[in-house]
Amino acid sequence: MRIPGTGNFITLDNEKCTLCGRCLIICVMNLWKKSDDRVHLVDDYASHCLECGACYQVCESGAIDFRYPAGGTGIVYAKG
Amino acid sequence: MENYDVIVVGAGPGGSIAARESAKKGLKTIFFERGRKPGEKNSSGCGLGPRMWRDFDFMTELTPEDCPSLRPGAAARNYLVNNDGEVSGYLMTKPTDSVTYEPARSWITMNCYRSEFDPWLAKYATDAGAVLKTSTLVTGLLKENGKVSGVIDEKGNKYSGLVIGADGAISMVARESGLRQRWEQEQVTIVPQYDFECPPSKIDDVMGDEALAVWWSATFPAAYQVFFNDGFHIGLGNWMTWWEKNPMHYLNQVVALKYFQRQIRILEAKPREFQVHLLPWQGQPHDTHADNVILIGDAGGFPCPLEAEGIYPAMVTARAAIETAVEAISAADVSKEFLNLYDAKWRATSVGEEFKTGPELASIWKALPFSPLKTMSWFVPMLMEIIGGIFDWSEPHAVRVRQIARRVKQYLPNAIPFIMREVIPLLTAILGEENMNLLTDPEKLIAAMPELEEAIARSFVENDMEEK
Repeated sequence: MRIPGTGNFITLDNEKCTLCGRCLIICVMNLWKKSDDRVHLVDDYASHCLECGACYQVCESGAIDFRYPAGGTGIVYAKG
Repeated sequence: MENYDVIVVGAGPGGSIAARESAKKGLKTIFFERGRKPGEKNSSGCGLGPRMWRDFDFMTELTPEDCPSLRPGAAARNYLVNNDGEVSGYLMTKPTDSVTYEPARSWITMNCYRSEFDPWLAKYATDAGAVLKTSTLVTGLLKENGKVSGVIDEKGNKYSGLVIGADGAISMVARESGLRQRWEQEQVTIVPQYDFECPPSKIDDVMGDEALAVWWSATFPAAYQVFFNDGFHIGLGNWMTWWEKNPMHYLNQVVALKYFQRQIRILEAKPREFQVHLLPWQGQPHDTHADNVILIGDAGGFPCPLEAEGIYPAMVTARAAIETAVEAISAADVSKEFLNLYDAKWRATSVGEEFKTGPELASIWKALPFSPLKTMSWFVPMLMEIIGGIFDWSEPHAVRVRQIARRVKQYLPNAIPFIMREVIPLLTAILGEENMNLLTDPEKLIAAMPELEEAIARSFVENDMEEK
């Protein structure tokens, strides 16, 4: 289940991105894409993201920032 | 500004115990949950360990009325998956005769969903007088003269007090207090898992009390399976440095096993939910506190270094953190130096005892179940040769023993360095060097090894024909 209203909670700074591709491998929802030597996050990531923070964790260049979405919004695990 | 003695960021098991212990000590306490209620934002294995019942009195009050998903993991299956991706055997284990107390003699874990357990636990904190604020994200730390004085929430509300970071693997409190921007890649794992639903009576009939399983494998990192009243989790993980392919590639390999598919059919299981979380998994916690800040549970990197049990360490470190906070507040000194007391306190607990051999335990886990291709690829066939080879009618049993011994010998060039690098250091850490020398001196062992290999080779050479 998913509660709307998360706002934007993941950002990418392409200036810092080294195109290492680790975010593409690690995201279990495949929300990171690479095209024309540029990494980007899919437009509707907020309606698919499971909020694990793995993209932030593997991004050692600090290009990806991740903050949890607004309180009471986002993914809900009924059987977590 | 609202003033508190203690502010707990997070209302998981660590956060709720911190809030409860704090309120019980008479400290003015608030704890925050970003979900609408505790337990709805986190995913987890989830088996509760018996030490929780030993060390926290109220655990005996946990009933199926509170937690309908409860199912004791009284026995565990250990499946061994070979290089061809087939289950080549399994072992069932139960708590053994050397286990000393109840309920640990009755079950290995008590399984339940966190969505039921966490709210139950949080109530003990609110009953003790702690204020719980749900649907509230704590977004930053308040600072005075560069030192943390409290927290600020997403609506801009400010709260002053000693800050307990119970906010999980991606901890805002750790980041904003300067303790850690992110983990080293070999200190944290990613763990995707599926939740399947199935009729409770099917689990009773098919699995009996075998409500736990580990799928040890030569093709994917060890996967765990935890049965609840009406369903189960199947998940796996590994350190961030390990993944050559997406984690789902490996988890889907487990689900695609013929053996697993047969289990799904007979259990009438249906996929219900897909979850993923980061799980700190390291040999030694470090940077656990700063001025006016203490990290507990996953935020502090406290899951067990061998099996990554997380809830009990979160609860124990919560208690140690509050004992520290009480002394710091009464001494009016919340400096990092004073809070060094926290490290002394958690090291004196059962969790601290675990971390005395933490680096060795984490290392052997990394080298064995989390190295499927490198290690499990010879370990699984070797183990199955030993435990499965004798009861076989293909040849006279004496011939079989020789065939097995010759086959095992082929694995020795892999097994001996593994024993030297992983098993001996672990045994040395457990027994101490002096006792270890009584048992066996690694140097002597290494010196004797070529002779031993030669002896094994010669003793079987005359029967080499049998292999063909």
